Amino acid sequence: MFGKNRVTFAKFGSVILVSFVLVAGLAIPLSPSPQSWLEFPVIPGLEDKARNLFFHVPMSWTAVLAFFISAVYGIRYLRSRDIDFDLISVSAAGLGLLFSLLATVTGALWARFNWGAFWNWDPRQTSIFVLLLIYGAYFGLRSAIENEEKRGRLSAVYTILAGFTVPFFVFVLPRMMAGLHPGALGDDTGKGPLFETKMIAPNMRVLFYTSLVAFTLLFLWLLNMRVRAARLEYQQSLHRS
Amino acid sequence: MVEFLNTNQLYIVLGVVLLIWSGIVVYLFRLDRKITELEKLMKKG
Repeated sequence: MFGKNRVTFAKFGSVILVSFVLVAGLAIPLSPSPQSWLEFPVIPGLEDKARNLFFHVPMSWTAVLAFFISAVYGIRYLRSRDIDFDLISVSAAGLGLLFSLLATVTGALWARFNWGAFWNWDPRQTSIFVLLLIYGAYFGLRSAIENEEKRGRLSAVYTILAGFTVPFFVFVLPRMMAGLHPGALGDDTGKGPLFETKMIAPNMRVLFYTSLVAFTLLFLWLLNMRVRAARLEYQQSLHRS
Repeated sequence: MVEFLNTNQLYIVLGVVLLIWSGIVVYLFRLDRKITELEKLMKKG
């Protein structure tokens, strides 16, 4: 997973792509009737706020990916009892928590101007809140256990179980209930979240998917650094004892 | 330039965002190098 070439790719790829998304996402002008690829359509009710799509949604996507990786390495830890897998699992969960928090906060800011209040207990807001609690408790659990083997084993089981709830909270529940977020039950703008609807022009769609790739690469670079720091910390703790 | 930015203020925001992003990128690259140095130290020790 952390081959040197892949890390270099993630490093430079993320810097270039995130920069590109920032420039294109902010600088491409809106037009009521776009004539070229260098114009975004005006989406009624969203206008400039539609640009949030390129920054807010990738946070949520990256969090899902991080929680998935955490669960996968939890499984690998249980099968091998290799402490390195535990370090990767906990690092991924930490970054997942960070990105969920960013998705929540950016979503709340957006909600203030589209839904009227920062917090509405919309199904999607509620479900990400529960996710934050679940993964917050994961770190509580870890810090409460001193024994390394026991901590690794229990937190691996926890992150695997938590991982199973993630798709439910992110992809299933918010679509089963009526709510304010695009994609909720009875949403007349389209079947799925906003980017699946016809309101999103092809150039916005391309930039949106580019942004998903960009933030995925950034996440992989951050995860690589976090894991290496965790390894150093672990080696240091071995030296001391 | 100033006149252009006065009428197209979104580009000022873009400038601010890019400055912040480049600061974060420089910091991350330095952090990455720092970890590499520590890894080398750890191997020697």
